[in-house]
Amino acid sequence: MRMFKLLPLLVASMLLTLSVNTTFAADYPSKQINMIMAFSAGGSSDVQARIMEKYWNKYSNQRWTFIYKTGAGGALGFAEIARAKPDGYTIGGLNMPHIVLQKLGQNAQFDPKTSFAYICQVVNDPQCIAVKKGSPFKSVKDIMDYAKANPGKLTVGMSGKLSGHGLMFLDFKKKYPEAKFADVYYKGAAEQNVALLGGEVMMIFGNLNDVMRATDQMDVLAMASETRNPFLPNVPTLKELGYDIVSDIRRCFAAPAGIGKKELTYLRDTFRKICNDPDYLADMKKAGQPAEYMDGPDFEAYVKSQYGKAEKALSDAGMLKK
Amino acid sequence: MGVAVNEFILPSFLNLLDPLNIFLMIAGLAGGIVVGALPGLTATMGVALMVPVTFSMDPTNGLVMLGAIYVGAIYGGANSAILVCTPGTPSSVATTFDGWPLCQSGRADEGLYTSLLSSSFGGIIGSFFLLFLAAPLAEGALNFGASENFWLCLFGLSTIAVMSADNMGKGLVSGAVGMLVSTVGLDPNSGIPRFTFGIYEMVQGVAVIPCMIGLFSFSQVLFLIGSQRQHIAEYHPRKGTFGMIFRYLATKCKVVLMRSSIMGTLIGILPGAGGEIASIICYNESKRWDKDPARYGKGCIEGVASSESANNAVIGGSMIPMLTLGIPGSAVAAVLMGALLAHGLQPGFKIFTATGELTYTFIASQFAVNLLMIPVGFLLCKCMARLLNLELSIVAIAIVVLAYIGAYAISNSMVDLWMVVLFGVIGFLGAMVGWDAGAMALGVILGPMIEENLGSCLQLAQAADGGLMTVMAGGYINKGLIFALILSLLTPFLLKWKNARKNKTCDKGATNA
Repeated sequence: MRMFKLLPLLVASMLLTLSVNTTFAADYPSKQINMIMAFSAGGSSDVQARIMEKYWNKYSNQRWTFIYKTGAGGALGFAEIARAKPDGYTIGGLNMPHIVLQKLGQNAQFDPKTSFAYICQVVNDPQCIAVKKGSPFKSVKDIMDYAKANPGKLTVGMSGKLSGHGLMFLDFKKKYPEAKFADVYYKGAAEQNVALLGGEVMMIFGNLNDVMRATDQMDVLAMASETRNPFLPNVPTLKELGYDIVSDIRRCFAAPAGIGKKELTYLRDTFRKICNDPDYLADMKKAGQPAEYMDGPDFEAYVKSQYGKAEKALSDAGMLKK
Repeated sequence: MGVAVNEFILPSFLNLLDPLNIFLMIAGLAGGIVVGALPGLTATMGVALMVPVTFSMDPTNGLVMLGAIYVGAIYGGANSAILVCTPGTPSSVATTFDGWPLCQSGRADEGLYTSLLSSSFGGIIGSFFLLFLAAPLAEGALNFGASENFWLCLFGLSTIAVMSADNMGKGLVSGAVGMLVSTVGLDPNSGIPRFTFGIYEMVQGVAVIPCMIGLFSFSQVLFLIGSQRQHIAEYHPRKGTFGMIFRYLATKCKVVLMRSSIMGTLIGILPGAGGEIASIICYNESKRWDKDPARYGKGCIEGVASSESANNAVIGGSMIPMLTLGIPGSAVAAVLMGALLAHGLQPGFKIFTATGELTYTFIASQFAVNLLMIPVGFLLCKCMARLLNLELSIVAIAIVVLAYIGAYAISNSMVDLWMVVLFGVIGFLGAMVGWDAGAMALGVILGPMIEENLGSCLQLAQAADGGLMTVMAGGYINKGLIFALILSLLTPFLLKWKNARKNKTCDKGATNA
């Protein structure tokens, strides 16, 4: 008899817990969020994300769990983000133009136009034209004059053919065909810097983040950005010098496409707060990371516009994967 | 220099007496040794995982701890190389050549103590160069471009010829198969996928560590299970072994230790080459210059000593270009540089003056860590040697579990686990027909480096006046390396000729008598 009296109570309490659960779930995030990193721990992308994590904990009650899924220049980690369940509990870091080039040149298993819900851009690391200190080249004009006078003799060091550097080279070749360079590709920024400082190549296309470490041995002649960078305010942009070249590596965070509106809004709001935090910006500056915020929808539009450009450049160069 | 001594070096050694620093050094060493000893968990991973922890620390304490982990992990790799024939880190591949035969003949303790003392010695020599000769050596390293690295890697690969002198053909085939395996994945020069057989995960190529875990440890487990043994090897620790090894190293191995440590430091400075190449080249050189090279590979103390002193000497060397030029000399140094940058420290020659106290404290800690390693390592290797007393079935399972965890942890990929199994079977079946796992691992490790550097050389040749020849053979370093390579390739023939002559004179002597 008593059992029958208890039963409704039990059902009621179960319903209650259930409803509590649903209201709890409504309070996104209710558990740790997986952060997929496509580059190894301790690398530049990881350092940036770790700085970000410090401030994420300030604005959110849930922490991040870092998952390193590395390999193939980041393509495997990016694909992991695209494949994740879009419940808001798996997000990750993406790099531009890597995602576009990997799709176009290597048949990567994601589509930058449809696979991701972009949260925001956090870093814009422009490409620089750098020479060794004491080099006869004092300006971009010197370089162009030499390349015109000695076609194919001026060696340019870059890291990776299917990379931001490679793309900048294709752009240069197309816009200024009268200057002929010899392109030399290295494994990464370290090898590239050695090649420049050891005199193996005459100039490099290097990212700001990498050349900044060696400004006592290198002269940065120009930067391929829209505006001058506060890290090196005396370095002119290529646009100022009359060369219409803008090229950079950008880092952003993204969730898999199909994520709920509420979750995406929460993520975008929190990341915006972090990116405007003066302490965060100070930390980023200290670590040599050129911070530049761009919100999710704008970044998505940027990815799409770059996709078109890269497709054209690669198909002109015969590097498009059929 | 005198100013630096007064201003920075003495205070920095005093900084080390801070109890927190001492604690961090010991904890870092112990943690590093365990990480290094576990197959798959490499020095790079151990240091990288601790980088975020240092963010909440004072930069000096953080760097001291990371440096201790690095030293511990590179040494720790020798323990598993000797006890279970599994290099714990890629740097200790060459340690298995003589460490494992030592263990099998019941002399595991000799191998363990040799590796401990030689690692410590190599580390101290490396730190010495870092402290006193950082600037000139860093400038010298810049002369090592694509062509020099290409010849150096080929020189490393030529080790196969000496390593398998009695059966060079099989050694060469194994090395070639290894190089073929290393071509799977993205072409390093154009970024286009190759030999992926339509499996997208294969674009990352065959990762070195899962492949090595398969070749060495998984195949070893298969072999052990197939044998009727109760234990991995007989183990009879004797009293006084430590003192005996110490005296042996201090008297008979002076030259081997000194040569390997100096060469290790110099190779460490090169950005393209790290401990994996240094230990193999130094092992090879010790064998080549020994009076009786035939002892090597059969459990020879000098073999373990040269490989282990070289890979720990690399540490100091790899930090030279990292601190002075912002160019890391090894994968771990790259992670350390990330930590420096995250703490707001800019590498460059300024780092020795602007933040001199921190830099010199870090360098001083490297000396202290290498000395502290002797007691810490001594206790830990005694514990690890107990492994040999456990029943084989338990040890075999434990090795497989650890190998799997290690292989998976590298990039959280299931493909890597299949690689372990695949290369385990290849290693097992290969050993039956006389394939050389060491030669194959060399091919897998060096293949990509050779290809990248050759690619850069070919691109540079477009612009050079004399074409490829000027790029590849120009300059003294290139010529020297080519000469060394030819000598190295001729060594087996020279040895054969020497032996034949010796036998002849012996025969003659015998008939005369």
